[in-house]
Amino acid sequence: MNTRTVVGQNLRKVDGNKLVTGGAAFTDDIHIPGMLYGKILPSPYAHARIRRIDTTKARALQGVHAVLTYRDVPRVPHTTAGQAWPEPSPYDTYLLDSKVRFVGDRVAAVAAETRAIAERAIKLIEVDYEVLPAVLDIEQAMAPGAPVIHDEPDSTRIFDRERNIAGYILREIGSVDKGFREADCIIEREFRTHRQQHAMLEPHVTICWIDPDGRLVIRSSTQVPYHCRRQVAMILQLPVSRVHVIKPRIGGGFGGKQEMLLEDICGALTLAARRPVKIEYTREEEFYMARSRHPQVLRMKIGAKRDGTIVASQLTVLATTGAYGSHSTTVQGNTGSKVLPLYRTGNMRFECHVVYTNAPVAGAFRGYGCPQGFFAQETLVDEIAAELGIDPLEFHRRNVIRLGDIDRLSAQLGEGKEGLPRVIRSCGLPECMERAAKAIGWSQKRAVSRNGHSARPRGVGMACTMQGSGIAGVDWASAFLKMNEDGSFYLQVGASDVGAGADTVLSQIAAQTLGVTLDKIVITSGDTDITPFDVGAYASSTTIISGGAVKKAAEKVRAQVLQLAAKLLDVAVENLDCGNNEIFSLTEPRRSVAISDLAMHAMYKEKVQIMDGASHFNTDSPPPFCATFAEVEVDTETGQVDVLHLATAVDPGTAINPMQAEGQVEGAVTQGLGYALTEELVLDSEGRPVNPNFLDYKIFSAKDMPKLTTILVQTDEPLGPFGAKSISEVPINGPAPAIANAIFHAVGVRIRKLPIRPEEVLRELRSADAQQAEEVLAR
Amino acid sequence: MFDQVEAFCRPASVPEALRLLQRGKGQARIVAGGTDVVIAGGGSIRVLIDITRAGLNYIRRRPAGLAIGSTTTLSELEDSDVVRKAAGGILVRAAAACGSVANRNLATVGGNLANGSPAADMATPLLVLDAQTVVAGRFGRRRLPLAEYLAGATENRWGKSILVELIVPAPPGGKRCGWSFQKLGRTAADISIVNVAAGLQIDAKSRVKWARLALGAAAPTAIRVPSCEQRMVGRILDAGLIAEVAEEVSRAAQPVSDVRASADYRRQMSLVLAARALKECAAQAGVAI
Amino acid sequence: MKTMELRLTVNGNPQVWDIAPGDLLLDVLRREGYFGVKRGCETGECGACTVLVDGKAINSCLMFAAQAEGREVVTIEGIAQDGRLDPLQEAFLDHGAVQCGFCTGGMIVGAKALLDRHPHPTEDQVREALSGHLCRCTGYKKPVEAVLAAAGRKEAAR
Repeated sequence: MNTRTVVGQNLRKVDGNKLVTGGAAFTDDIHIPGMLYGKILPSPYAHARIRRIDTTKARALQGVHAVLTYRDVPRVPHTTAGQAWPEPSPYDTYLLDSKVRFVGDRVAAVAAETRAIAERAIKLIEVDYEVLPAVLDIEQAMAPGAPVIHDEPDSTRIFDRERNIAGYILREIGSVDKGFREADCIIEREFRTHRQQHAMLEPHVTICWIDPDGRLVIRSSTQVPYHCRRQVAMILQLPVSRVHVIKPRIGGGFGGKQEMLLEDICGALTLAARRPVKIEYTREEEFYMARSRHPQVLRMKIGAKRDGTIVASQLTVLATTGAYGSHSTTVQGNTGSKVLPLYRTGNMRFECHVVYTNAPVAGAFRGYGCPQGFFAQETLVDEIAAELGIDPLEFHRRNVIRLGDIDRLSAQLGEGKEGLPRVIRSCGLPECMERAAKAIGWSQKRAVSRNGHSARPRGVGMACTMQGSGIAGVDWASAFLKMNEDGSFYLQVGASDVGAGADTVLSQIAAQTLGVTLDKIVITSGDTDITPFDVGAYASSTTIISGGAVKKAAEKVRAQVLQLAAKLLDVAVENLDCGNNEIFSLTEPRRSVAISDLAMHAMYKEKVQIMDGASHFNTDSPPPFCATFAEVEVDTETGQVDVLHLATAVDPGTAINPMQAEGQVEGAVTQGLGYALTEELVLDSEGRPVNPNFLDYKIFSAKDMPKLTTILVQTDEPLGPFGAKSISEVPINGPAPAIANAIFHAVGVRIRKLPIRPEEVLRELRSADAQQAEEVLAR
Repeated sequence: MFDQVEAFCRPASVPEALRLLQRGKGQARIVAGGTDVVIAGGGSIRVLIDITRAGLNYIRRRPAGLAIGSTTTLSELEDSDVVRKAAGGILVRAAAACGSVANRNLATVGGNLANGSPAADMATPLLVLDAQTVVAGRFGRRRLPLAEYLAGATENRWGKSILVELIVPAPPGGKRCGWSFQKLGRTAADISIVNVAAGLQIDAKSRVKWARLALGAAAPTAIRVPSCEQRMVGRILDAGLIAEVAEEVSRAAQPVSDVRASADYRRQMSLVLAARALKECAAQAGVAI
Repeated sequence: MKTMELRLTVNGNPQVWDIAPGDLLLDVLRREGYFGVKRGCETGECGACTVLVDGKAINSCLMFAAQAEGREVVTIEGIAQDGRLDPLQEAFLDHGAVQCGFCTGGMIVGAKALLDRHPHPTEDQVREALSGHLCRCTGYKKPVEAVLAAAGRKEAAR
């Protein structure tokens, strides 16, 4: 049946009922008899060697069942990054080590009968530290004489350990030197971005136990159950088959759970104590002992002709990955590969150093290097457009990538190895721009010059961005379907629903393909014993890659169903179709069989289990496109920026569930608003976090929100199931540059550092005023 | 973690609460709404004394003014007709700016003051209204001006006593009065970067008869600025006076730098908010600035 | 460890529990199986632990369990009546206001307290009520729409 009765419909989430009634669905929503509480002793110093560590008193405390230091566990270099093997991140991390490299780094761990005893026990561990000089400044980390953070000989894949360089990237297509020579206008600027934290509502939590067969079971809030299984098996020196990872409902991930963060230490405590152990981060631990976004210093240079055509673009990035190199080259690789090719110039150059500093570890975070890069690029483009006297919207129209174009920079910057050139087979960006511009009232509002005419001038600004949909040639998934006697199907997928609705979307794809209603699909996901492999929820891969596997598996099962129906109805298979829980003849529609009847027949008469599975990956990563328009009001006395309206238009290919897709946009832009204006994890001069709680680290609440307009511009992507690409990351990239550009329109001030703090705006306004006054006096 | 607590007491009267406090010898802690006590953590507390059932939850009209029991919650203040009508409702505006609805259903006005935070939002308008505190201890009951109580709170002077009541004298009334509460935060619900409360009464010629101005989150406690108040009395309320006074407020500030704002920014914003507060008061009193 | 008895009503059912004097209400509720009440921050900022105590929304992470003595507590598990979802719960599902669901229980409880007091809230009142419920997934737009829709639904049901 060609009509989309399931895909494309705003159906209720399949797990919605239990979420609105407080059903026990999350990792911690379980009582396990005999469970112990695990706690990590964090380092108080940014850089130190453990000279002596004495756990006698901790072990002697009543109720303590295990205490671990680096002496008690195997030393296996690894990365915590949840990536496909072989992970393109340095293997520089150890379960426990005799050296600590950031405030919060693991020193030891305990398991005890109550949380209170565990907290007391870690305080009883006596540690003699040899405090080492620490380096926190990005630029100083590479300088000669800087303390070497990873001087251990057994770590591998570090680009230059003496200079604290975790990774280095250099790629060029065409010739930027030639391009710049042809430019009529060249602008080069420096931008700085900061540490943002995921702040997902459910902190990291893991519970481990040993099952009756002696296998290690890990129940964890993770985006990457399979990577976890592989990594924990390697670190604890167990066969993969002796490890079982279960992913329950997850209370948000956003990349922070694309990491093997607690599973190894929790597993080690479980093996040592021979009892179940739970480790749950407090909110404070979550802020600095988990992951956060890579801070970057970006130097960008763009050259354009007088008519606005970009002829060359060059981006040089200095980023820090914190104390360990999780996701260090891949995030920064994206800053180049997903950002520069938004524009059609054949001359692009990207160079990046990623350095270690004695700071909390950076990792994957929605957008994955793009928010940083697009902040620089879209702000710079706005400046060039202004310099050339071209409306930014028109400037974008002339330069953005188009349907049919080939992105060659991506070929150079695949995940850690030569990637594949990207062909644009679907592109709704022009329509995204037009519709979002209209929603914000672009032409009327741009026409009015607002600078300095009122105490609260308003302005509008825009940004265009893109992302990817899965990692080409790397991300892969599989799915399995089996039929039940009532005509329902159990769908088993390794995919990880982090809360974005993957279970629902994948069920919709299966139901549509099989010709059944959504309630006929029962889904199990993310259980390494039951579900087939999936890399996990990241890189905006779930709908397109996991969905692709689901569609393939469903097509195979559909074929089996039709085969049997052909026999039952005595109709040729080519003349059959299915829909709405029945299979019917196309030529004589009244010749039909209900799927439930067919199922009973298959099971008890044919004695056949209708079932099949499939694997899937793509060799390309079709980008979703996004146009973000912001209207702001600047309070020139306080410097506060009030975002009045944010209009976001996204081309996600086909939205399998448009309502859920809109929700993803709205959530992403809200994190983008925080990134732009209020969120920053601040460290003091000793590397200690200053604001690791919700009181001092401000995320947007319901009262802070601007008016949100969400527009879905649907296109048909050949590489995606039912034409789908992705949607969950791309909208986070637009708010920061759109707001910065709107501020410029309102008050003529360019902010190139995030977050945009009122103090900065006020300072810039006052110096701009002072400059103007001087010019007037000089005349 | 409050795992060392051995007893949770719910005294039905203030004398009983005080007896428990004395017996606790420094390891007993008074708790009302819990919004500060719980966050501060358990440490070595052995006895918790919940005073929310000790008869301290009331809002009464007395000849001296409004008597507010110290365990009255911020929500109860917001809901009270008589508090909303007092002084242009600035007490309610300040209460509404403290955290979320759920926080305010627990947080008490006494707790907000006893915590000794420089940014206690309730302190600023209460200073403007010349509020007095009633403190109960071994000495019996004492009345203290709010400013004195606040100074003591930051020095942890009240560990052996209990704040039981606030007395808010009747403020000037009539249509030539104006009141304002202004707060600056990073987001809508944030600890104040700076807050200002003001009250003015003018005569028929727009001359200031009565003035109160208080600044919060820009000094170790919320402070009144008497030099500004005196400067205003007798002068015509106009833009020039407001600018002068706002400038003086910023000089009176003793701000610190923290993750929310730098000291310099706080000082600048004291001026901005003071000016806005005074303009709002002027508008209410019928003077267009 | 010292224990004391706590007598209270939870979701309409009288309960007698043994608690430690310093126990927090959030910990006791989860220990007794009310997993819908979530631990998100333990400082009263995120709202995921919100329950009603005598009809008022409060952060159960900030209340000592002993303070709930003699009180009526309602958790998210007690919002649906006789197996039928409350209009709020239906609205959250219909409007796509649920994503990861971790903040959802607290948000629905907070919204219920609002609608019980203000059956016809303005959007501003809804945002005020929801401002103590941090959500990282939705941007609050659909939850606000859902609460307003539920208010309308309640009206229609009357």
